[in-house]
Amino acid sequence: MNSEPHTPRPYWNSYWAGFGLGLVLLASFVIMGRGLGASGAFTTAVATAVHQVAPAHAENNPFYSEYLGDGTRSPLKDWLVFEVLGVFVGGFLSGVLAHRLKLTVEQGPRSTTPRRLAFAFVGGGLMGIGAKIALGCTSGQALTGGALLNVGSWAFMWCVFGGAYAMAYFVRKQWI
Amino acid sequence: MNAPFYKFGLFGDEASFIIAFFIGIGFGFFLERAGFGSARKLAAQFYLRDLSVLKVMFTAIITAMTGLYVFSRLGMVDLSLVYLVPTFLIPQIVGGLLLGVGFVIGGYCPGTSCVSAATGRIDGMVYIFGMIAGLLGFGEVYPRIVGFAHSTSMGQITLPKLFDLPYGLLVFAAVLMALGAFAAGEWAEKKFGGKQPDPEGSIIGGSRRLTPVRALALSLAVIGLCAAFAGDPYRGHHATIATRDLEMRVGQGADLIEPVQLADWIIQDRNDFRLVDLRSQKDYIAWHIPTAENFPLASLTPDFAAHNEKIILYTNDGSEAAKAWFLLEAQGFRSTYVLDGGLRNWQDSVLFPRKSPGTSGTAFERQVQVAKFFGGAPQANTEASAAATPALPRLALPSLPAAPPTGTSTAPPRKKKEGC
Repeated sequence: MNSEPHTPRPYWNSYWAGFGLGLVLLASFVIMGRGLGASGAFTTAVATAVHQVAPAHAENNPFYSEYLGDGTRSPLKDWLVFEVLGVFVGGFLSGVLAHRLKLTVEQGPRSTTPRRLAFAFVGGGLMGIGAKIALGCTSGQALTGGALLNVGSWAFMWCVFGGAYAMAYFVRKQWI
Repeated sequence: MNAPFYKFGLFGDEASFIIAFFIGIGFGFFLERAGFGSARKLAAQFYLRDLSVLKVMFTAIITAMTGLYVFSRLGMVDLSLVYLVPTFLIPQIVGGLLLGVGFVIGGYCPGTSCVSAATGRIDGMVYIFGMIAGLLGFGEVYPRIVGFAHSTSMGQITLPKLFDLPYGLLVFAAVLMALGAFAAGEWAEKKFGGKQPDPEGSIIGGSRRLTPVRALALSLAVIGLCAAFAGDPYRGHHATIATRDLEMRVGQGADLIEPVQLADWIIQDRNDFRLVDLRSQKDYIAWHIPTAENFPLASLTPDFAAHNEKIILYTNDGSEAAKAWFLLEAQGFRSTYVLDGGLRNWQDSVLFPRKSPGTSGTAFERQVQVAKFFGGAPQANTEASAAATPALPRLALPSLPAAPPTGTSTAPPRKKKEGC
């Protein structure tokens, strides 16, 4: 991956990337009657894994059982699971075409790799918990619910920005 | 055109997975194009140096929102069939704050972490492991916080409904707000990020020429302005019946809800369904299941509820409810259920349960708790008392017990969660 001879191309203009994203979201509404998502697919994967290890535990837990379906087919045969597989593929394709594939750690000049990875893990954990309390993440709530003028989604969206700006000062060494 | 295509049965589940995969590819592609595979680019949003997150997100939101409005207003899409996540206000505020904190610490959100991992970012991969750990932890404590997770429930509600304003007006307001945010964002980038606005790619900077970016912004604003005066995008009376679909659902018993399950939902104070009492107003006033609304059969017009709401119907037994169920399905309601056995069964299995030989002591103890919650009482298991039907308890919903019994419903969930 590192032997890529080309220099990475610049990112697209934000407005055009956002417009493209909006058209994908619109297509999802029109074709499927639902929006995009991300965290739900990981929840299904986690619930399925727990079910494999401890079936009774998963079935008695109202959180996992909601993601296990009716038992007539694998819970992984789920719309969001396939959608998120597509996200990996789409991201990879775009990265390849723009020469942006690189095995690296994203961090600011004052950060260290072990700390950055620890922060990534903690941040991911908080996002996992937050997304489940809020019934969705930035994709399922902010983007999708935002476009549908959903009350909870707009409240959620402002709180995401609020929480991030409030915390930003304390972790600035990681980024700037 | 009858859209959403999937909801009108144009293709089945298997095909929907292929579509999901391609929609995901589009999603991932544009996220990566925007630079969202890079945590530094994402985090710069919160130091006001690069406001791509704001620009991409709001452009996507207003593009999809205005597009959906136009399609719905032209009658091509039935907006009431598009799935809306129910609002639980406080949990969503708390979850949002937590997500924001996690965002600036971790550098990604769940969607962008996939893109970053796919393009080789090790921190993105570690983030995904962290998220999985978080989900696992949440799953383990969920039974203890289920009450909080379902609190301040407002059902499926949009801003136009909340403020009682025309839908199109709020579309316009959202477009204006987004354009204002873009202008402010570009100003902030210049001030804090030292970025000179790129004349081709910005809205406020550079020349006064109508660049493509400005044309995009202007088009969205014009559509928004038209929407403000163009009326309600929700479709009027329209009906299609997928008869095969109905046969399948009835055949599998997927149109029925067990009283015990309904009782659990009421105890949990869940608000993602509407309970409809189809009997006469007199009967309803005399007694009804707590939280039920009274809609006699004739008053079930296509607009009595949103088409994607979960509706549970009941009468004294099952037959009248079955008629109403069919009527609603024909009117385009997509998740209608009948309380199995009606009020009679509710009495027998929730209000006045009897210990059957197969029930364990703890299971029956719980049945008793549920019965007491609804003002009923368990019945002695004798033949004599079986003959005499106990009188119905009074109407008032008994106050919530300190620790409501939850999560022991034995019936498997019928429908998988649809939201993110």
